[in-house]
Amino acid sequence: MNWFGFILAQCLNALSQASILFFIACGLTLIFGIMRIVNFAHGVIFMLGAYVGYTANVVTGSFLASLIIAPIVVGLVGMAFEWTLLRHLYGRRDGGAYLLLTFGLAVVLSEVIRVIWGVQPLGTGIPDFLRGIVVILDQPFPLYRLFLIGLGVAAAVAIWQFLERTRAGLLIRAVSQNSEMVHALGTDVDLVRTAVFGFGCALAALGGVLATPLVTAFLGMGTSVVIDAFVIVIIGGMGSFLGSIIGSVLVAFVQVMGAYYFQDLALAFMYLLMLCVLVVRPGGLLGKED
Amino acid sequence: MNWKFHFAITAAACAVLPFVVPAHSLTILVEALIFGLFAMSLDLLVGYCRLYSFGHAAAYGLGAYSYALILTHVPLPLPAGILLAVAVTTVIAVPIAWICTRSTGVSFAMLTLAFAQLGYAMLFRFRDVTGGSDGLVGIPRLAGPFGFDWFQSKFGYYYLVLGCLLGSYLLCRAIVLSPFGAVLAGIRENEAKTIALGYNTRAYKIATVVLAYGFGGLAGALYAAFAGFASPELFFWLTSGRVLIMVVVGGAGTLIGPILGGVSFVFLEHHLSQLTDLWPLIFGTVFIIFVMFAPQGIWGILTSRLSTKRDVPNSDGGKEASGAAT
Repeated sequence: MNWFGFILAQCLNALSQASILFFIACGLTLIFGIMRIVNFAHGVIFMLGAYVGYTANVVTGSFLASLIIAPIVVGLVGMAFEWTLLRHLYGRRDGGAYLLLTFGLAVVLSEVIRVIWGVQPLGTGIPDFLRGIVVILDQPFPLYRLFLIGLGVAAAVAIWQFLERTRAGLLIRAVSQNSEMVHALGTDVDLVRTAVFGFGCALAALGGVLATPLVTAFLGMGTSVVIDAFVIVIIGGMGSFLGSIIGSVLVAFVQVMGAYYFQDLALAFMYLLMLCVLVVRPGGLLGKED
Repeated sequence: MNWKFHFAITAAACAVLPFVVPAHSLTILVEALIFGLFAMSLDLLVGYCRLYSFGHAAAYGLGAYSYALILTHVPLPLPAGILLAVAVTTVIAVPIAWICTRSTGVSFAMLTLAFAQLGYAMLFRFRDVTGGSDGLVGIPRLAGPFGFDWFQSKFGYYYLVLGCLLGSYLLCRAIVLSPFGAVLAGIRENEAKTIALGYNTRAYKIATVVLAYGFGGLAGALYAAFAGFASPELFFWLTSGRVLIMVVVGGAGTLIGPILGGVSFVFLEHHLSQLTDLWPLIFGTVFIIFVMFAPQGIWGILTSRLSTKRDVPNSDGGKEASGAAT
């Protein structure tokens, strides 16, 4: 029994889980950072991504195509929602209105999904070229999960570089710090908001497509995931990109290790982690206290 | 004392109702009143403190399961069982309130949701006690005290529920009109200023969450005793969602609005779900329309139109411009 290999496999497992969680939490925290809006519908958007990805996979027969199509479609849905409804609440001082509106979207969207795709869980198999098993230190490990880790790391680096190095990233960071000033300097802040909302939704959809081979697309996958995502964002600090990475890894480790060693208490551990962080730092690890 | 007159007329009309409606409607009527009570309990948080609880199902489920667990083990008379269930819910609510009120806004919503989902998960974890996904069935409504068995019939139970609803309304109304309620309004409008005036707003919020849980638990216990079973559905986030929709559509911050919202929601759900399976879609859309265009809710619209009826407690739920500074 190679315990080191076993622990390594567990860690890799947790990291692959973390990368799916990261796709959801990152979009959530970006949207919050720039608009101070908490998108309660983010879990349902993730679920929509999974379903659209399933259909794209069936139609085109290619997993890679669904990885591209679903985020685009869902991103457009998100932008349309922001443009038609959410935008009209910006004038309201009461932040609760956003919460209620996105909650309404979650209800409506999950019903629309039920009507279109039905109540049966829909599974896509792992694509052939990712189906293998890799042996790491005598422990078999599925290739698909390694693929998830790689994609998650690549996406995290890409988004980080995008935010730090490009002009669009600069604008996003500027709007999140002082939107009025950016507006006064002649930037179309509304456009930035719409784009970021769509981008966040597209990221969540990507997570949904990636999760489908592991858990199948089913009604209700959005609810558990939105709670995970919020726990991550609260732990990491609302609006902090780096915080969402740290939070994803922490929560994924607690989930995977908890599920293995203390099966009955796995869920409770996640909340305990959140409570500990909130008691010590009410604004999250990297967040500002508001 | 205009409102006392209206209250008396409404109470009398409700008391006559079982004699005029067909017997099979009585079931739905009782459920509607219970949900009205449940929605009103959430209004204490949403309408008066602007604390959006996404997990108020926890209160409902706690009340229902407490009653169910007590009654399946100890043969207590119905009112004693319900009172005990409310007490249990209230006690459990204290630590929950203490933790949740550490944060406001979104974090508060997520923490309350997390507790409700935790309760939901616990039902499956301790399935030998709670029955898991089957729930608890065969919950009795026992006679007593002193051999008083009127509440065992559906007809008598209606009056118990009506009494609880009207009593809770009067209590909540007294609370929100009291100096305590004035502090809550202060928290809603401008918490920083209220703190600056020397109020420990956290303590007020904890007290309100506990109160809301207590009334929600009462609704849950009444439901469990009426339906005879308690299922994990009661803890599910959709229950929280439904009750939040009722409060907002009915008119947050008016107490009466959420009661009306809850009652009419149950009736509409009952009738529309027979006609079409798209009713959650319809309700979701109606909810979005209200959030967008009429945040003051149905009761808010009615009271602002009929401005002579200004005696309802705090009918300014819709004046969003005066909302808390962010």
